[in-house]
Amino acid sequence: MRRMKTAAFAATVVGALTLAACSSGGSSDNASEEPDTSGGTAANELTFMFRGGDYDKLAYETAIEAFEAETGAKVKMIITDADQYATKLQAAIAGNKVPDVFYIEPGKMMGYVYAGVLADLTDYVDQATIDNIWDFGTDAYRFNTETGARGQDGDPLYGLPKDVGPFGFGYNTVLFEKLGLEAPPADEPLTFDEFVDLAKQLTVDMDGDGELDHWGTGLNVTWNSQAFIWGAGADWISEDQKTVTVDTPEFADALQWFADLGLVEGVTPSAEQAQTLDTYQRWMAGEIGFFPVAPWDIATYNEKAASDPENFGYDVIPYPVANEGDDWSTWLGSLGIAVSENSANKELAAQLATYLSTDLEAQKILAENKVQIPNLIDYATGEWIETDAPAAGWPANTKIFLEIAEEKGRPLPGIWTYTPEWYDNFWIGIENVVDNGSQTAADFLAAKQPEMQMLLDQSWVSADQAKAQG
Amino acid sequence: MATTAPPAAPTTTSWSKEDAKAARKANRKRHRNENAWAAAFMAAPVIGWVAFLLFPMGFSIYASMTNWNGLGNMTFVGFDNYVRLVQDPYFWKALWNTVFYMIGIPIGLAISLALALALSRKIRGRTFFRTVYYIPVISSLAAVAILWQWAYNGDFGLVNQALALVGIEGPNWLMDPTWSKPALIIMAVWKGLGYSTLLYLAAVQAVPRSLYEAAALDGASGWKRFTKITWPMVQPVTFFLVVTNIIGGSMIFTEINIMTPTGGPSWSTASLVWYVWNQAFRNLQMGYATAMALVLGILVLIVTIIQFRINRANDFSID
Repeated sequence: MRRMKTAAFAATVVGALTLAACSSGGSSDNASEEPDTSGGTAANELTFMFRGGDYDKLAYETAIEAFEAETGAKVKMIITDADQYATKLQAAIAGNKVPDVFYIEPGKMMGYVYAGVLADLTDYVDQATIDNIWDFGTDAYRFNTETGARGQDGDPLYGLPKDVGPFGFGYNTVLFEKLGLEAPPADEPLTFDEFVDLAKQLTVDMDGDGELDHWGTGLNVTWNSQAFIWGAGADWISEDQKTVTVDTPEFADALQWFADLGLVEGVTPSAEQAQTLDTYQRWMAGEIGFFPVAPWDIATYNEKAASDPENFGYDVIPYPVANEGDDWSTWLGSLGIAVSENSANKELAAQLATYLSTDLEAQKILAENKVQIPNLIDYATGEWIETDAPAAGWPANTKIFLEIAEEKGRPLPGIWTYTPEWYDNFWIGIENVVDNGSQTAADFLAAKQPEMQMLLDQSWVSADQAKAQG
Repeated sequence: MATTAPPAAPTTTSWSKEDAKAARKANRKRHRNENAWAAAFMAAPVIGWVAFLLFPMGFSIYASMTNWNGLGNMTFVGFDNYVRLVQDPYFWKALWNTVFYMIGIPIGLAISLALALALSRKIRGRTFFRTVYYIPVISSLAAVAILWQWAYNGDFGLVNQALALVGIEGPNWLMDPTWSKPALIIMAVWKGLGYSTLLYLAAVQAVPRSLYEAAALDGASGWKRFTKITWPMVQPVTFFLVVTNIIGGSMIFTEINIMTPTGGPSWSTASLVWYVWNQAFRNLQMGYATAMALVLGILVLIVTIIQFRINRANDFSID
């Protein structure tokens, strides 16, 4: 009998070693690299899983230090590579090792709520705190599970913003000066016609060699066309998120106008020259007049402006609109901080999420290092915009970022629906309209709408099924 | 290994029922111990097989028949995902793209064999060339993909600059639906060349010299010697490379996700695994994605079985 036990023990050890070797790809080093993401079990233990750069880590270390001192909690931080975060979080959920506090993308929230992964924070965060965060920062994490509605004030809150990211627009100040052009206004948007007119003046052959040296603009349709489409009064989806609305005349006109910037007006680099990386590099080299400017670009743009002041300088302006008097808007991104529904310390975890989102010192670190604009309205519109932002080197018209955060920002289409597949589908074949002009915008959109509508309908069916399954 | 000593061998005359019973008991005990040890050693691979093959396979088959977002509960839907897959034009498009990428396999093998033949000769810098051709194999695929993305830039990319030197105006590789797949094939061939060349080199050097000498005495030309001796003798390596390349090629993902993250112009580069990944993790359609992954697995299995059959039919030995 004793030998049987010995044999069984040997088998267990050999089996365990085999499994361990397989699971770590045969490398003992890798085995220790995968941290345990499980939530804390002791009364004051929490696990926080996130992704980000050095400044995010520094800011959160500061906030967590203060949080630990105030509450006596012990917080384990798990930081992952940005491109692996979503997959790792999903694996942690599938493996029932959900961290207490973690980042969540607003676009994926519905599935997580229906699966019972996210805790409702409504009762844990006081109204004064919520009132001091940009509306979009909290609306992005509100979800009514009964109606499927997103972003409605007063609905349950399933996360707090790590940040709000205004996708602004800018121009090269040095190039404007060089060509003797008046700087575009910071208070009023240019009209499409004014924008094209300026872009034409910026598209010049400076040295007379027959080759263009500067262009008016160079925009990537996937990331930069939204503001122009919205600026013409068109949209991808109806307000109730049930109907794809890309087949309207105003949408077709706006998309055609966007395509014609390169195809007809010739104010962008050619299709060959306009690959994303290339356009960005040309902007950085001082060859492009108008280009997107977002908070996460500021540090890089400042470095470039300091090292190459003869060619590069920048500031922020509103996005152009179709007609004078039209309202301008652009997209506003966000990343959220959520709490696990099954956390053993839900209240403490909610407290940590609130700290990470709103701790003043952490917000100062992130803003000073140009990672994001502050989440706190009173700080952002007071001390920060008055003194801290100029001192840290934010551009002169930084207030436009705050304007976007406050009222001009809109979520990217697809964020409010269960899955974004219908919206992703829009970009398949878009090069036929924008790059080579083999298809008109109207024809493209007429063919696209039914396909996108089918995928949107499917997304709602999936949402209903996820709701029923739990 | 310590075992209980068997009872003294009984003589025919003194063998009693009690002795026989005692002997059987001792034997059973000894065998029980041995069986336990045998079971213990067999347990490791069996546990591995059950844990890493049988269970995941069974789970995958079940998951493919469910509506599951990878987060919540599963709902059994029978063959709905398979019906959807047949009607999904993007599945067929991705499958076609994946099959198209296989064009690179014969091209890569032909170049590898040519290189192996060249490197098997005593030429100057042979070791240097062997090293150079192998460097891409050990380089990070992600890093290589980024470098090739730059090289393929339509405006200032290295590839088009090189083509311009010989008067050819190169296409906008990754932005042109006609050229995006060939661009990825060229990169994949370049990346895998060193590995195939290495295996071919070993196979070429293992061909008995006496065969070439005999052929030379019979007046066989260089081409005849290649087609009648070298090619058949390296056939096992060719077979191995074709099988592994088809399996590897069917899983192409990383370079597509880095070089054309939205599936390329007009979805011209989206591979099936890329589509599966998108459906599973971006669109929360884990059940449907699993069904597609299983279909891909079955297709690869069928192709591999056919290859084994063909290989067996062409098998030969030197007697």
